Amino acid sequence: MAILRYTSSLILIIVFSFQLLAQTTEEKKEPWKLSGIKAGLDVGRFSNFLFKPEQRSYAGSIDIGFNNKRYFVGEFGYSEISLNRENYDYRSNGTFYKLGFDYNMLKKVPTDFLGAGLRIGYSLLEHSASSILFNSSHWGNYYLEQQAETNQTMWFEASFGIKGEVLKNIYLGWSTVLKVRLYGGKDDSFQPYDIPGYGNATKSIIIGANYFIYYQIPFNRN
Amino acid sequence: MKRIFRLVLFILFSFIAYNCSDNKCNESVDVELKAEIIVKDTILENANFIDSLSIYSPLWLDSVHYSSINYLLDLSPFSNTTTFIFTSQLWKDTVWILHERQLVYLSQECGFVNYYTIDSAWYTSNNIDSIEWVNKKLTTQNDGHLKIYF
Repeated sequence: MAILRYTSSLILIIVFSFQLLAQTTEEKKEPWKLSGIKAGLDVGRFSNFLFKPEQRSYAGSIDIGFNNKRYFVGEFGYSEISLNRENYDYRSNGTFYKLGFDYNMLKKVPTDFLGAGLRIGYSLLEHSASSILFNSSHWGNYYLEQQAETNQTMWFEASFGIKGEVLKNIYLGWSTVLKVRLYGGKDDSFQPYDIPGYGNATKSIIIGANYFIYYQIPFNRN
Repeated sequence: MKRIFRLVLFILFSFIAYNCSDNKCNESVDVELKAEIIVKDTILENANFIDSLSIYSPLWLDSVHYSSINYLLDLSPFSNTTTFIFTSQLWKDTVWILHERQLVYLSQECGFVNYYTIDSAWYTSNNIDSIEWVNKKLTTQNDGHLKIYF
């Protein structure tokens, strides 16, 4: 029931958001015109090489802009974790997908972006653990294994950020993101180490940041 | 305007958030059953039998002798039955505990522990009068609790 309630609330938010956008469009009587398509690469994830060497993750995005105001956005990514600890080895791999839209509030610099966005995200991962060492003075040392399990998570994202054209057709973008888990991700016995696209599996609400480089496919530009 | 915009963008872009973690396990990983010994038999009480009480499991590498009324016992990590033998100078009793194990990933730093749910227990009655379960769930909160009446 909670899932239904969250999902219906989310659908209502999205529907009303689109209605608000539509109202603005009607007020200006501006027809929707394709203004560009950007392909993005999440470069913030490359910091994992320094700070989370056990994790390899890659993410990209496609956004389709209309009138440099409204953007339909799709994001996707892959994450792989190989964690070798003294008392266990952990493996995980999974993918994530996000769909949503951005709204640009800039008027004077229409090719750049300052605005907000909403996303719905979904992740599917499989994880397992081996060589789990238990060290007991009474029972001695012994090893156990955790069989592979799959885990699905769905979450909602609200973001606020900027994108600027630093070279011709090349953009840098940064955004703060608030993520709210709608369902999944939690497991009382075998909690995922990290949910691809979402982050720390133990938290129901996450505030984070994204760093992207975009290439704008050069067509239909004024 | 555009220059300022780009400057802000670069400053923000250069900031990379990272997690601060000391990579150490800072929480308890012990999952133990608290066994509370309660002596009602005056003969045993007068004989100070707690001072000579030892507890062990046939599969343990060692035994426990604290001269105490509270013992913290490790249940079997690889079997669903744990046998404990309570022995003193003149007597011996055996307690069998049937339980379920749940392997739990506590955290990245601490790794895995076994949680237990007690199903049932039975015992010999040479000196044990009865047993009482206060809490049948064993986690890292030291919540599992058994009272043994002699």
